[in-house]
Amino acid sequence: MQYQYQYQHQQQAAESSSWGYYVPAVRGMIGSDPLERVVRLASESAVVIFSISSCCMCHAVKSLFCGMGVNPTVYELDQDPTGKEIERALMRLLGNYSSPVPVVFIGGKLIGAMDRVMASHINGTLVPLLKEAGALWL
Amino acid sequence: MASHGVGETGLSDSGPSNHHLPYAAIHGINTPSTSFFNQEGSSFDFGELEEAVLQGVKIRSDEAKAPLFRPAATLEMFPPWPIRFQQTPRVGSSKSGGESSDSGSAVNTLSSKAEAQLDPESPISKKASSSDHQSFDQKHLQLQQHQQQIEMASDTSRTGGPSELNTSPAKPPQEKRKGSTSEKQLDAKTLRRLAQNREAARKSRLRKKAYVQQLESSRIKLTQLEQDLQRARQQGLFLGGCGGAGGNMSSGAAIFDMEYARWLEDDHRHMSELRTGLQAHLSDGDLRVIVDRYISHYDEIFRLKGVAAKSDVFHLITGMWSTPAERCFLWMGGFRPSELIKMLTSQLDPLTQQQLMGIYSLQHSSQQAEEALSQGLEQLQQSLIDTIATGPVIDGMQQMAVALGKLANLEGFVRQADNLRQQTLHQLRRILTVRQAARCFLVIGEYYGRLRALSSLWASLPRESLMGEENTCQATTDLQMVQPPQNHFSNI
Repeated sequence: MQYQYQYQHQQQAAESSSWGYYVPAVRGMIGSDPLERVVRLASESAVVIFSISSCCMCHAVKSLFCGMGVNPTVYELDQDPTGKEIERALMRLLGNYSSPVPVVFIGGKLIGAMDRVMASHINGTLVPLLKEAGALWL
Repeated sequence: MASHGVGETGLSDSGPSNHHLPYAAIHGINTPSTSFFNQEGSSFDFGELEEAVLQGVKIRSDEAKAPLFRPAATLEMFPPWPIRFQQTPRVGSSKSGGESSDSGSAVNTLSSKAEAQLDPESPISKKASSSDHQSFDQKHLQLQQHQQQIEMASDTSRTGGPSELNTSPAKPPQEKRKGSTSEKQLDAKTLRRLAQNREAARKSRLRKKAYVQQLESSRIKLTQLEQDLQRARQQGLFLGGCGGAGGNMSSGAAIFDMEYARWLEDDHRHMSELRTGLQAHLSDGDLRVIVDRYISHYDEIFRLKGVAAKSDVFHLITGMWSTPAERCFLWMGGFRPSELIKMLTSQLDPLTQQQLMGIYSLQHSSQQAEEALSQGLEQLQQSLIDTIATGPVIDGMQQMAVALGKLANLEGFVRQADNLRQQTLHQLRRILTVRQAARCFLVIGEYYGRLRALSSLWASLPRESLMGEENTCQATTDLQMVQPPQNHFSNI
């Protein structure tokens, strides 16, 4: 199926691109506030997903976007040396949530965890947002 | 005791019994007694005492043989008849030479008889106790006689007889020191008393037996009731999905089942409200109130499911809270939203173009969301399999801990699925007008009600017959009273 191929491709791309992103980031901003990093990373791509490679809900979110034909930028926090800090920052951002991942940003704007993503998809606000961010073309 | 009947009565009675008393009499009391008697100038002397002892030995030996002739009925541990009757023949057989002046008195007969057997050291009596029962009886008698001995020793009255009377083995010796009347009168009284005691003992034994039997039968009844209750509960689960299942249900599951049953009753009430509201052509405002109430009614069940998912996610995900027919279409612990939309589209006419588009996009997005969640669950299952199936056994506990951690993610998936269902219903409400929404929810409620009714009907169908097809045809005949000819043919 097409989206699966896209997804696998995307995963590889994301990993390489995340590594690509991280290296200059670490070089440029050692000791910066993790939240700032999160916000900066989120604004660099149309669709940004913070994830953990072993998390199944993150897999579901990735499947959802790939199923819609979107190529999200995925940051696997367990493969990042500063992953723990980012997790903590995300937890604070979500406000007393059970799990820090997955967290989705579209067009630099925080959408939220899985339930918010689903709700926005059902009530029809997700697709316009994606189109607005340039992640989805008709 | 010197004051005791040192005369022939007491000593002769006690003579053949334990060596204790005569011994004591000989050794302990001898000096004072002899001096006493010598003082008194009674005819008693040591020689007479010796004679009495020897005679007693003779008596004892005679009577010790008697047990051999005892009837076999004495195999009973506690013969209900008094020993006296047993021994009466022996009285005749033995020489009651050592008897007291009351030779005819059964009292002293009895006592002497018993005393004859009391001596444990008598070789003859030992030989005689061939059977265990006999020896038991003897020992019992000996015990009682020994007690009597002690009492006799302390009894001042010459006719210390009454104290010796209660030798019936079934009763403990009761010492009633009556004032001395003639032995014959006492005899009758004590006879009556003994008879009454026997009766009372028998009655209490019977009562105890009856009570024990009652207890046993109650216990059996209790276990049977428990089994029936469990069976009924399991059947109740098939017929309508209400109540609890067998005993191995968690408390969280039981609580949820109870709350779900209550929710179903509320659902019924809401539906009748919607129906009457539609038929009565209420204003949109009034109808909106009813519809919004129905939405919050659904919100309530999703909240309850969220709570239940924390305590027992397997109960939800296996659908044990719902009926078999609903379970057929189960998806992640509940209904599949896209299927519900599909079912509704035909029943919601007329819809505006915009509404139709909204419904179709709702169906599409719910399908995508369902697919995403299913993929996530698949990955969870795969990861769980990898954890459990591989790895050395040495790591057993570690493996289990990791697997448990992964299982915990199930709760998240059930909650996301319920969230999806809730959002779908809310979106429906937004797309449709009030009246359409009222009709829509009525349709949904009726649909699930019919599914539940289907489950009940299915459970109540007779399934014993091996001829399945014929049976279902007949069942269909029962259900549809019309069209007999076709069904007849199909039966043939």
